Amino acid sequence: MGDGVVSKSPAPLALPDLPAAKLARSFRRNAPGYLFLAPWLLGFAVFTVGPALASLYLSFTDYDLVRAPELVGLANYVRIATADPKFAASIHVTFIYVILSVPLKLAFALVIALVLNRGIAGLPLYRAIFYLPSLLGSSVAIAVLWRQLFAADGLVNAVLGHFGYAGPSWISNPRYSLYTLVLLSVWQFGSPMIIFLAGLRQMPRDVYEAASIDGASKLRQFFRITLPLLSPVIFFNAIVQTIDAFRAFTPAFVISGGSGGPINSTLFYTLYLYQEAFGNFRMGYASALAWVLMIIIALFTVFSFLTSRYWVYYDE
Amino acid sequence: MRAWKTSRRQLFGVTAGALAAAAGTARSASAEGSIRMFWWGSNDRAERTRKAIQAFEAADPGVSVTSEFAGWDGYWPRLATQIAGDNAPDLLQMDPLYMVEYARRGAIRALDSYRGGALQIDDFGEANLASCSIDGKLFGINNGINAFGTILNASAWRDRGVEPPAFGTTWQQLVEMCRAFKKANKKSGFYAIADGSGRDELFEIWLRGQNKMLYTPDGQLGFEAKDLTGWFEYWAALRADGGCVTPDIQALSKSDAETSPLTTGYAAADYAHSNEFIDFSQLNKAELSLTGIPVNEGNVASNYLKPSQMFSVSAGSRDPETAVKLANFLVNTPSGVQALGVERGIPAAPAMRALILPGLNANEKKTVEFITNLAPYAGKFPPALPKGAGEISTLILRLSQETGFESSTPAQAADQFVREANSILQRR
Repeated sequence: MGDGVVSKSPAPLALPDLPAAKLARSFRRNAPGYLFLAPWLLGFAVFTVGPALASLYLSFTDYDLVRAPELVGLANYVRIATADPKFAASIHVTFIYVILSVPLKLAFALVIALVLNRGIAGLPLYRAIFYLPSLLGSSVAIAVLWRQLFAADGLVNAVLGHFGYAGPSWISNPRYSLYTLVLLSVWQFGSPMIIFLAGLRQMPRDVYEAASIDGASKLRQFFRITLPLLSPVIFFNAIVQTIDAFRAFTPAFVISGGSGGPINSTLFYTLYLYQEAFGNFRMGYASALAWVLMIIIALFTVFSFLTSRYWVYYDE
Repeated sequence: MRAWKTSRRQLFGVTAGALAAAAGTARSASAEGSIRMFWWGSNDRAERTRKAIQAFEAADPGVSVTSEFAGWDGYWPRLATQIAGDNAPDLLQMDPLYMVEYARRGAIRALDSYRGGALQIDDFGEANLASCSIDGKLFGINNGINAFGTILNASAWRDRGVEPPAFGTTWQQLVEMCRAFKKANKKSGFYAIADGSGRDELFEIWLRGQNKMLYTPDGQLGFEAKDLTGWFEYWAALRADGGCVTPDIQALSKSDAETSPLTTGYAAADYAHSNEFIDFSQLNKAELSLTGIPVNEGNVASNYLKPSQMFSVSAGSRDPETAVKLANFLVNTPSGVQALGVERGIPAAPAMRALILPGLNANEKKTVEFITNLAPYAGKFPPALPKGAGEISTLILRLSQETGFESSTPAQAADQFVREANSILQRR
């Protein structure tokens, strides 16, 4: 509609436009679009951009919520980089979590998707059942359930007991606590699985037919056809899951009772950030931590995009 | 085009109207005589407090009180956020751990000017009022006296032929009792006592038995690394003997009645504040009793009475007078005190204590007896806690776990503690 209106008024087109006039005209043309976007734009500005900018400002201040923020320059960032053992501990925990949980979860999701893609009876039911944990996954109830499963007298130890093995209290032993959380994350494989399944459904059958005529084994077909064709979906899932894993908070918060313990073994970065903000009321420092996390996630994502050209195959 | 311009103006009008309406409701919440109260605690506490508030409203038709409560963990973030948003509750529950920070930052108001008027608490006594004061000014109204104690399942001890710890039991005797318990015990995964090495309240009493303190009056550590080494070694030995629960069991505890190894069936005793005894006895099937913390021979007055909590009035309150009146009603007026009972601790006013004593149930009476019997074992109230005390309390817990899981020796953990604690205390 907008294009039609503009092309019928030839006069202004003859002269070189002033930038302001050009802007006004483009705005007039796009105004209905912006209007339709307005509810979202308003929400984005008020609830995302605004608080983000405020937190950027706060990250250069000392702010305890009660007194007015006081500018301290780069002091917060300097402390993070040089004098904060808990920052180092939380980075360590978070990286182990990301590096273990993301590949495991993706592999698990892919395997289940491959199984479901073989056309078994009752597919919608299985799909729903497998997806369920993802819906519940980040909820407090599931974390509480996990605590019960892996406690000293939990279900896991009851089962192990039948085989004559007396297990420790998995969630409260610093040697295992983080891995129970990795397991919890892998269990929530539903959403990447659904996306994988959609990707597998799009696979062109003729390629497989050609491959089997040429005598390629199922395994070879998987590595030479399925994986390359699925790589854009894998790439998407990997990025989304990595960002999610960096931001994991609820399971660690509930299972350790907010302490990140025992001995900081589940001190996720976000949990440490929360402790600084709402336990010790250092909003300025916590804001700086939040921005450092954003930079880390951004670096990871940029790195993924840079390497993607070597392994992600787009069918043009 | 024309139609769009009109709608934009309309849209703006609607938005502005909505904003004005929102601002209007925010304003109207703080009319004269209408106040808000906020506390942390259990459902039981909420029921008692709401009943007391109703009695307050009935006595003075001009006021209305809205109330909200949260768990301990959720309380502090919400309180801080409300204060930052200039939307602080008028009357709030305060803990000694955080009082200094809130008072020195100017978030709660000094109450001295109300004394003799809306606030009638002279009968609390000087020591009590001092324990609720910062820099010589009264910032809190004591709403219950308590003290740190040992909660135990006496029959579990006697079934094994061991007399349980009592008032005056020494730290050394406790070790022998736990050993005897272990020897007679047949139930696997069951221990005499919880691992108390991570509780700063307990460590403080241990220090006071040696004439040291947790914090000096000027907010520095009141002990040295070797004192903490001794503490961690005491528990390491007990752990090695099987006298206290294993570290992975202890790590399940969040230092409350619900997750205590006593409640979850791993130990025959744990340490808690005396007002928590009510929660413990509701959650445990076995009959529990409440007794003192071990002492050092010749220096037994190492425990002390403390305000379990206080009521404070926020600096931003638009009707502090009514808030103070409500607090006074809750701590020193018969109908208010009777509604609250001893769930927050023993009333500080002697007349109120005498008033409610006959109506208490057996478990509640035990907490009153405990406070009475503690007298010979209670010493002076310690200096006000420095800013960062809350953070240091979690630091002791973490380092005690390091010794428990043997990733540090007691000496290493103690050195680490002194380093990190000093850095917390120096931080502004």
